[in-house]
Amino acid sequence: MHKFWRVSAYEYQRHVLRSRFLFVLLSVPGLILVMAVVGLLISQAHQSDRPLGYVDHSGLLASPLPAPELDSSNRRVPLLPFQTEAEAQTALQSKEIQAYYVLPQDYRQTGHADLVFIESPSSDAEQEFADFLRVNLMSGQPEPVAQRLIRGDNLTVSTPDGSRSMSQNDWFNIFTPFVTGLAFIIAIFTTSGYLLQAVVEEKENRTIEILLTSVSFFQMMGGKIIGIIGVGLTQIIVWISVAVIGVLIGRNYFELLRAVHISPGFIGLMLAVMLPSFVLIAALMAAVGATVTEAREGQQVTGLFTLPVMIPYWFSFQIMSNPNGPLAVALSYFPLTAPVAVTMRAGFTYLAPGEILLSVGILSLSALGALWLAGRALRLGLLSYGQRVNLRELVGRSK
Amino acid sequence: MPSVEVSHITKTFGPVKAVDDLSFQVEHGEIFGLLGPNGAGKTTAIRVILDIFKPDQGQVSVLGGPMVEAKKNRIGYMPEERGLYQDIPLERCLVYLGSLKGLSPDQVRQQVGEYLERFDLTAHRNSKVKELSKGMQQKAQIIATLLHRPELVVIDEPFTGLDPVNTRMAKDLLQDLRAGGVTIMMSTHQMHQVEELCDRILLIHHGRALLYGDLESIRRRYSGHAVLVRAGGNQPHAASLDAVPGVEKAEAQNASVKLFLASDTSPQEVLHNLLARNVILERFEIATPTLDEIFIRVVQDEGVQSA
Repeated sequence: MHKFWRVSAYEYQRHVLRSRFLFVLLSVPGLILVMAVVGLLISQAHQSDRPLGYVDHSGLLASPLPAPELDSSNRRVPLLPFQTEAEAQTALQSKEIQAYYVLPQDYRQTGHADLVFIESPSSDAEQEFADFLRVNLMSGQPEPVAQRLIRGDNLTVSTPDGSRSMSQNDWFNIFTPFVTGLAFIIAIFTTSGYLLQAVVEEKENRTIEILLTSVSFFQMMGGKIIGIIGVGLTQIIVWISVAVIGVLIGRNYFELLRAVHISPGFIGLMLAVMLPSFVLIAALMAAVGATVTEAREGQQVTGLFTLPVMIPYWFSFQIMSNPNGPLAVALSYFPLTAPVAVTMRAGFTYLAPGEILLSVGILSLSALGALWLAGRALRLGLLSYGQRVNLRELVGRSK
Repeated sequence: MPSVEVSHITKTFGPVKAVDDLSFQVEHGEIFGLLGPNGAGKTTAIRVILDIFKPDQGQVSVLGGPMVEAKKNRIGYMPEERGLYQDIPLERCLVYLGSLKGLSPDQVRQQVGEYLERFDLTAHRNSKVKELSKGMQQKAQIIATLLHRPELVVIDEPFTGLDPVNTRMAKDLLQDLRAGGVTIMMSTHQMHQVEELCDRILLIHHGRALLYGDLESIRRRYSGHAVLVRAGGNQPHAASLDAVPGVEKAEAQNASVKLFLASDTSPQEVLHNLLARNVILERFEIATPTLDEIFIRVVQDEGVQSA
């Protein structure tokens, strides 16, 4: 085992110390950061401190109650009453206000109001005026009733054992498995791609012969795969850390991010599904690397794995709308589609432990099979320097 | 006990029989030459011995038994082409390869330092392997092969790319290793190196053994019945020497003359006859062919027989 870990450690260092790894490592958080900054700038550009005016012909706002306190992250827009529409129009033209509402006399009956603007006001401003109206419409009601109506509905769905629940206000959490699964898949494929290239290079420059006269096939392939998994996990840990830091900072400014939470159960599920998937794909990549003569040729063959892995994303609507349907369940049991299908379903339904165990069991067995295949491919690849090993040879009788 | 014992191994790749019923032994503490033209099956034989390939038939015994993982630390192998990681610093590459041979981190660093010094590569320890010249890479490969002080060294073309100074250094190193009891199995095309270094040889062609045994015996076997003579002063030419009793033919060969003797004539008789004719001899020796000549003759004969 000593040599096994030396191979792993070397393989880990070899890739982590390369500039291309640092580029991939930083590019994803960098891209997200750029997108977030651009989004924030666009949002800020749309924000306005200017008051929002109103002309009330209905009498509802004659002695108005103030609008409820807004979230501290959203700027409060002052609400300015006008006696006539002409006054409001003048204020609008002189840009003293960003827009004004006109409540007609029959507003209480029709619920109809007009909004007059030159440039549409921010959604926060509209929301604030809506809250302001709601408070005043409820002014005659008993306090608890008024408060309850103002808060509105919030449907929460819980699992039978109560371990998980989801409400309509924290919809962001539904997409957490979706996004985390995608991050895992990107990490798995980028790092497994390194392994493929490394095996092809070692075969080309005969380093593999030196290695095989020092360590066993198992130590070499197993060590490489564990090293590559370490590289992938480093990538994921950095990405998740950046995401967590981003959420922790962002929740001071965005209500949406305050609802984000990841349960330990979900982390356990991700690890249980993604680790064997990592071994499976890394071993398949190593097998491809051992059987082809050039890295470029190997990368073309890897499409055979990348496409099945991405299939659950193609059927994401079907999985979301029927997470326990035959398609979603079948994809959870097929080794190459399982990692994405299981994590995606976890966002929308309750997965029974038996179901998870079966999926992880199939994945683990497939990973072991892929390791065997990689070892065999390497032996056959060595026998066929400069030639591709075909599938029949790979799965045929041992030489 | 032989260090390597190969018994009737056969290895086939599709329709090609790369090694065909090959048997030989490499004795402990000798330098053994594995010779043959390109595609003869030398590298396949080496890979079978090192358990990189499994033979279709036959047995291999290495260091007293079948090849097992524990024996890998006692063997050093240098393949013909490259065999080093190209895009990492030299020292890191050597330390890693040494560590896979069971050396502790301290041992491997010390050994690498000593060898880099000995091969004049200390200044390049932090250079990437691909930045080194071909000769330097060859030296680095030799270091990687010997770092862990193996008992059996298997090397494929060890002198390729080395300048005369470094070739001498590598030869001295191999001879030192032999003196220290290390068994060396060397595959090469450079016959003069074999003549200088090897105790015994195996010549293979089309995967089969053509010549096997002690180098001197083989040379004597192929010497024919001839002597090399160089006469001093104003001495007779080749043409006049074929008149010497017992000489069938005389042939100029550089500054000497090669005398082909009649089958019933011994070299001593010819020497006596030459002295009787007052020929002043500067050189008189049994004519033994160079290994190059034997190699070409045997391979050509084999070709004729195969045809």
